[in-house]
Amino acid sequence: MKSHLSRLYITLFSLLFFSLATLSYGANIQQDIAKNSTIEKIKKRGVLRVGMDVFQPWAMRDKNGKFIGFEIDVATRLARDMGVKVQFVPTAWSGIIPALLTGKFDVIIGGMSITPKRALSVNFSIPYDYTGMSIVANKAKAAGFNSLESFNSPDVQIAVKLGTTAVAAARKFVPKAKLRMFDTEPQAYQELRNGNVHAVIGSAPKPAQEAADYSDTLFLPLDTTFTREPIGFAVRKGDPDTLAYFNSWITVVDMEGWLQERHDYWFMTKDWANLIK
Amino acid sequence: MHYKLKRITPLDCVVLLALFLFAGFICYRLFYSLNYRWNWSVIPTYMFRLNENTGKWEPNILLEGLFTTLRLSFWGMVLAILIGFLFGLMRVSTRLFFRLAGRTYIELIRNTPPLVLVFIFYYFITDQILVSFAIDEKILSSPAWLQKFISIFFADPPSLNPFLSGVLTLALFQGAYIAEIVRAGIQSIKQEQWESAWSLGLNKWQVMRLIILPEAIRIMLPPLGNEFINTVKWSSIVSIISIQELTFQGLQVMASTHATIELWITISVIYLLLCLTLSVIVAKIERRLSRFDSFFQTGAAEGN
Repeated sequence: MKSHLSRLYITLFSLLFFSLATLSYGANIQQDIAKNSTIEKIKKRGVLRVGMDVFQPWAMRDKNGKFIGFEIDVATRLARDMGVKVQFVPTAWSGIIPALLTGKFDVIIGGMSITPKRALSVNFSIPYDYTGMSIVANKAKAAGFNSLESFNSPDVQIAVKLGTTAVAAARKFVPKAKLRMFDTEPQAYQELRNGNVHAVIGSAPKPAQEAADYSDTLFLPLDTTFTREPIGFAVRKGDPDTLAYFNSWITVVDMEGWLQERHDYWFMTKDWANLIK
Repeated sequence: MHYKLKRITPLDCVVLLALFLFAGFICYRLFYSLNYRWNWSVIPTYMFRLNENTGKWEPNILLEGLFTTLRLSFWGMVLAILIGFLFGLMRVSTRLFFRLAGRTYIELIRNTPPLVLVFIFYYFITDQILVSFAIDEKILSSPAWLQKFISIFFADPPSLNPFLSGVLTLALFQGAYIAEIVRAGIQSIKQEQWESAWSLGLNKWQVMRLIILPEAIRIMLPPLGNEFINTVKWSSIVSIISIQELTFQGLQVMASTHATIELWITISVIYLLLCLTLSVIVAKIERRLSRFDSFFQTGAAEGN
């Protein structure tokens, strides 16, 4: 009986001991995660490094060589609210996710649409903006085309920027059309103006602006965007603290109405055009 | 050296005329029938900017890009020569291991597309090297004069890491071609030179340093000059890994202003001027060396 009792005590004690040990081990892991989070590193460094690519009107170089644009406003305010400086790391769009994963910068704030496929390799914040795809067409080549269905034919050629969600949108909505992919947006639009492709699919508002700039040769077959895509910050996986901080920040500036105000300035007006040329 | 200068023939005139007409046709198509709104005014704007604090004109992003291209090419070439000589000497070594190692490096680089190599070097190789040295943290804690020195001769402290990976990438890439030039240069020296040097009782390194290399370097110089020009041109390839040199900055301005053709023309002209200058310098050096050569040959002939 006595030996039974002592065995019971030993079992109880060791159980207690191990559970305490695991508890404190768990606490250690938590501390480690918090300590190694990107947020802590940014605070220590005093600099938030933001990866982006240049495209109108998200991020552009003004006449003084400075970055301007919607994303630039967002990242600058984010850094200010964190009490650190901001450093922009312009990166070619096709290599922007590998650059994030290999630590060239802390976060992508670059008009990146949240897609299930991208979310397999990076973590996205909650959306801070929404964009949609629209289509602009060549008057001579696509005369009378007034719906997406009219572009859905094997003799129609559509230009898109490589690695963007425009590619997925084109494959989904005009699967039969032939896609021509270009490294940059200006190349795609030049091909459209030259009359070598029927249309360009791209993020609003660029197609509408292009149709307005070259109204003698280009037109908008659809009045509205035909997709709605959430835009989020992208961070490396396995960093819940950083993601939580960004989500809170987005909620706050969204509630303030600040995001909407900046969005309207960059996307609804062209007041900024004289900063560029 | 005695040949008669030929006069211009009627055929030459026809060919010239045809070429001019063709060039004129291209220009006409480019300027009048292309559906494009020309906007040359962006070029000077993005070359120079007015600093409102000091009232002085400063280089804007395009010129900054050009300076980065120059620094990138210079350091890339310096490192590439070091790597090239190291592996070139390994290629002619008597040890099998060195020959194998040298050969592996050269064949690996010569037989893979440069674009792929640039990505591999950037993401997997140079980054690991740089991270283990933690250069950026050391720079940030260094004194101000050192930081200034570094930003003049290399790059601004924040963009130093990408700049160094660009330099390393370019050097590893060009090093392979230079290694082959070094190997060919050394192997072109006649066997007699080695034998007579050995007969003087010099050891392996003395033979190389005192006899073979001084002769071989004269043979290597023209192709090395060629590689220098190539380095400037290849430096544009690192724009794909977002090193902020001339091509990359040009692409950025293009995406900002949509003035595509103006920028491509400007960028090509800048590269052309840069490489032409280098070609002239290389040609001058070659001429000087050939004079040196003929002096030696005639001297030797008179001695006989």
